Amino acid sequence: MARVMTPRDTGAPGRIVPFVSTFVFVLVSVVPLQLPGFAAVTPSFALMAVFHWTVYRPDLLPLSAIFALGVLLDLLNGTPFLGLSALTLLIARTVVLMNRRHFINRDFSVLWLVFLALASGAFMFNWALVSALDRRILGTRPFLFEAVLTVACYPVGSYVLARLHRAFLRS
Amino acid sequence: MGMRLSPPVKAAAQRLTLPMLVFAAGLLTVLGKGDVLLVDKLRMAVADASSPILQVIARPLSAASAAVATVENIITVYRQNEDLRQDNERLLQWEDVARRLGAENADLRRLVKLVPDQPQSAISARVIADAGGAFMRNVLVDAGAGDGVARGQAATTGEGLVGRVSEVGDRTARILLLTDLNSHIPVTVERTDQHALLDGDNSDRPRLMFLDPRSSVQVGDRILTSGSGGVFPPGLPVGQVAAIENGIVRVEPAAELSRLDFVRLVDYGLGGVLPENAVPPARPAKPARTRTPVEAER
Repeated sequence: MARVMTPRDTGAPGRIVPFVSTFVFVLVSVVPLQLPGFAAVTPSFALMAVFHWTVYRPDLLPLSAIFALGVLLDLLNGTPFLGLSALTLLIARTVVLMNRRHFINRDFSVLWLVFLALASGAFMFNWALVSALDRRILGTRPFLFEAVLTVACYPVGSYVLARLHRAFLRS
Repeated sequence: MGMRLSPPVKAAAQRLTLPMLVFAAGLLTVLGKGDVLLVDKLRMAVADASSPILQVIARPLSAASAAVATVENIITVYRQNEDLRQDNERLLQWEDVARRLGAENADLRRLVKLVPDQPQSAISARVIADAGGAFMRNVLVDAGAGDGVARGQAATTGEGLVGRVSEVGDRTARILLLTDLNSHIPVTVERTDQHALLDGDNSDRPRLMFLDPRSSVQVGDRILTSGSGGVFPPGLPVGQVAAIENGIVRVEPAAELSRLDFVRLVDYGLGGVLPENAVPPARPAKPARTRTPVEAER
């Protein structure tokens, strides 16, 4: 179970940083990043944010917040499968929470590998679920590409989140 | 939280949260598939609400990508210059031809006393969100019902067809790109005048379906809209045949779908099969910022 953080540990503005940063990450993952070579997939920044905050401050990004942000992501995406992102993020959070003690104090490359595993699992799950719901086996290539892109962009997202974390949260 | 729960109850409630939320997510999916109208309204309400923030984020990003494109251009400037010179020559010749044809057209219309086409109106909109997902391709633009956008309008760039308007909010609209899984567009092969359906499958190159098996489609053939079913007017450039493998014809869209910044939403005033005077005049929407009437030549 997560270590209980008392309210004294964090200033009032700091408490909303995980939620707000995840919210911003959700928005950014929807805005077109037209870099040459990145055809039409954007990295799943939302997954990065959920991963980071679940590892370091799960108390400040509870399940209900993740659910709400997942639904928001689905609504903004215009996906026909409302709730898919919410489900994926909830499961990601649960899995990370159960195992975080193994890697919480390790250095960045370990975290990156863990995130690689998480992203692979998440995208495979997505693929399987969408294939099942749509009743046709979808090509794996777009999912694979998005997973690779997400893992590749993890350092960027993680850096931003770590800076925010240090700036606003004294833990 | 105001409620005071005893620790065992609190613990039980916490343990229930995950299953409850998972159930809620599943419920939403079922709801989304069932009551589509409600979910559409909800989606567009969220899109409308997020539009200001998305626009704020989109502007610097689009400026950044324009900067990157500039750098790209600078690196390849010499080759591009030569390409552009050749293009220009070719286009000047076409300009001549177009002028002559335009004059001839005007003469013939006068001769036949043809009633001019309904004026089309075009709405320019910026792309503020791009669902570049693995199982859907659509974009959100910052023009909505308040600007005269309606379901079914064609979305184009200067190069060709991009998709069609699938949902409309007050300030935003969603465009289903022609590469999306659910996009089916009636088209023709320009050279042979054969009809087919352009089916998106979420890859970069949609497939031509229901083409006559005896057809002689070649790589490089231009694909245009056919106008079948009154979905789009005929003759809009869609793309070119890029590859034919195992009997599957793949079309490279003419528009650069991965770099959409601004699109034009055009209402061709298609009323289906109705007599001329039964088609209502162009919708009297509020005068929006960027409406440009495109009138047919007299």
